[in-house]
Amino acid sequence: MDILKGIPASPGIAIGPAYIVEHDGVYAERKEIPTAAVAQEVRRFQTAVARTLDDLDKGEIKVRELFGENYAQLMEAHKLILKDPMLTEGVVKKIETEHICAETALYAAVREISAGFENIKDEFFRERKFDVADVAKRVFENLTEKRHNKFAGIKEPSIVIAHNLYPSDTFRLKSKKVLGFATDIGGKTSHTALLAQSMQMPAVVGLSNAAAQIRAGDILVLDGQSGALIINPDDATLEIYKKYQGDFAKAEQSLKDISNLPNITKDGHKVLLYINYDPRRDTKEWDTFHSEGLGLLRTEFIFMDRPEPPTEEEQFAVYKKAVQRFGVRPVTIRLADLGGDKAADFGLARTETEDNPFMGCRGIRLFLKYPELMKTQMRAIIRAAAASHGQVNLMVPMVSGSGELAEVRKVFGEVLADMRARGAQPALPIQIGAMIEVPSAALTMDAVLPEADFVSIGTNDLIQYILAVDRVNQEVADLYDPYHPAVLRTINSVVQAARKKGRPVSVCGEMASDPEMVPFLIGAGVDILSVTPRMFLRIKNTLRNLNFKDCANLAQAAILLTSSEEIKKLKENYKTDEDNS
Amino acid sequence: MIKEDIEIKNKLGIHARPAALLAQEAGRYKSDILIAKDGMEINAKSIMGIMMLAAERGAKISLSVRGPDEEQAFLALKAVIKKICEEELGY
Repeated sequence: MDILKGIPASPGIAIGPAYIVEHDGVYAERKEIPTAAVAQEVRRFQTAVARTLDDLDKGEIKVRELFGENYAQLMEAHKLILKDPMLTEGVVKKIETEHICAETALYAAVREISAGFENIKDEFFRERKFDVADVAKRVFENLTEKRHNKFAGIKEPSIVIAHNLYPSDTFRLKSKKVLGFATDIGGKTSHTALLAQSMQMPAVVGLSNAAAQIRAGDILVLDGQSGALIINPDDATLEIYKKYQGDFAKAEQSLKDISNLPNITKDGHKVLLYINYDPRRDTKEWDTFHSEGLGLLRTEFIFMDRPEPPTEEEQFAVYKKAVQRFGVRPVTIRLADLGGDKAADFGLARTETEDNPFMGCRGIRLFLKYPELMKTQMRAIIRAAAASHGQVNLMVPMVSGSGELAEVRKVFGEVLADMRARGAQPALPIQIGAMIEVPSAALTMDAVLPEADFVSIGTNDLIQYILAVDRVNQEVADLYDPYHPAVLRTINSVVQAARKKGRPVSVCGEMASDPEMVPFLIGAGVDILSVTPRMFLRIKNTLRNLNFKDCANLAQAAILLTSSEEIKKLKENYKTDEDNS
Repeated sequence: MIKEDIEIKNKLGIHARPAALLAQEAGRYKSDILIAKDGMEINAKSIMGIMMLAAERGAKISLSVRGPDEEQAFLALKAVIKKICEEELGY
């Protein structure tokens, strides 16, 4: 029994025989051709390119259907690479001048291009060499006319082991008897990992050299949650994992069973469950989540990886899709929470590089400095609201006091009047709310609330600011503690203040998606939990097994304690009570 | 042949989207369109070439066009580069 450790890429447990994928790619022995055959060889190459283009066109349609727009764009990029003269003309030139066969020429051209990519400093561009290799491989397959189907040999349900799987391979896995896969290279956010998640196929990546250590037919246990790959497990280990596998399947199934039931506690207390919606990750599966609204649409992604701000039209298209997806349910769109570095990217650079960006010019601070950015986003949101049948909310990030909110309201009033004159009339008035994530806002709720129609607690930043802990910093990450009395007391007082004024309170940070923390939140009186889709059913399950009265007692008792240890102990006792009842 | 030196002014330099824009525009013309930077010269019709050029902010590139439609091509390419630089400085 050997255990390899990789990067968990997609959760679930697979047990089965190994199927080893031959290390493939573009390999060719140098073969020279007679001068008379050169023209024909060039034509053969060009035919292969044309066929590949055709494949990509067809693939794009299929991928769009199965996986959505984002992956279709990947195919678009592959087409640009295929048409690139560096590849096409490079190969033709090699055939014509060196009198070598098309396969050899393609191999040589790809090697040269890859070497060029190795020298690029920017990681994003450097990684594109995998896309070049994927495209070249497709051309190669069309050249040899042997469509090498590397999965053809799979006769029984198996775990695929490969040095690397290209996105195009991963697409193909869906229809095969594949239980899961493991690869030597790749990271958690590689296209291959993301595809595995959307196919709900267990996967481990980044195993370094698993492909060389495993023989075909070895029995494997693949644990997509921990990233472990066990080769020829002993009986005891196998039994344990079979049980895990069963538990995992049962848990998944029981979650599906509750999806149609109401979002209430055992004693009938209603809590609204919203989703933190990311349109780029949307899948048909999300239809089955009976969420009561969209609690947080992060809009930063529209501004990322581009040298100029998105236009009103571009933004409107995104927001309109989101409001339509949610029909009559409320949708909360957050103004972009951009850091100062983003402004510099857009050439708005009066801001110098910030030493401490989390305390710097981000969120609403940035937008108030560059009101045109904010107005454009407001216009797009107003137009989306006019196209919606439901309530659209506008949420303001990084509010540190009432002044900023008043300013946002003033600007919004002007933009709205202007938009009305242009004929955009939202059916329901747009509500303006504040993210509570800066301690100064949390401590002056009496000033903030008159300016806010609703508030939403962003726990990630709130905890970071209250505890003065950068949780990305390994030296202090262990001090990041949601159980800290300062955190729970602050959340409690924010909720009480809002409820006294009749303003709805939601929590949209990670705490809302943490089953352990949910009792504290609903016990404090939070009206809405906005959770990440991956955790939606699990949080729903948690909620349905809680007793509101007990949670209220827990939350009130917790804020009287003085350390996280005591609070955790209190929580444990509470859990025991729950199990006994 | 028309030739001109241009400074890249935007923060990110010629990034993913600009690279695609440039290659697509260059692909519309018959002329040979070359971009040189620090002794490296690439075909502007090649998206991979433009990416490898890694033109950052402040980079001085040299655009040269030779061929039957060199005048239109030169103006069009210059307009694209100007747009790439200017749109970001617009605010």
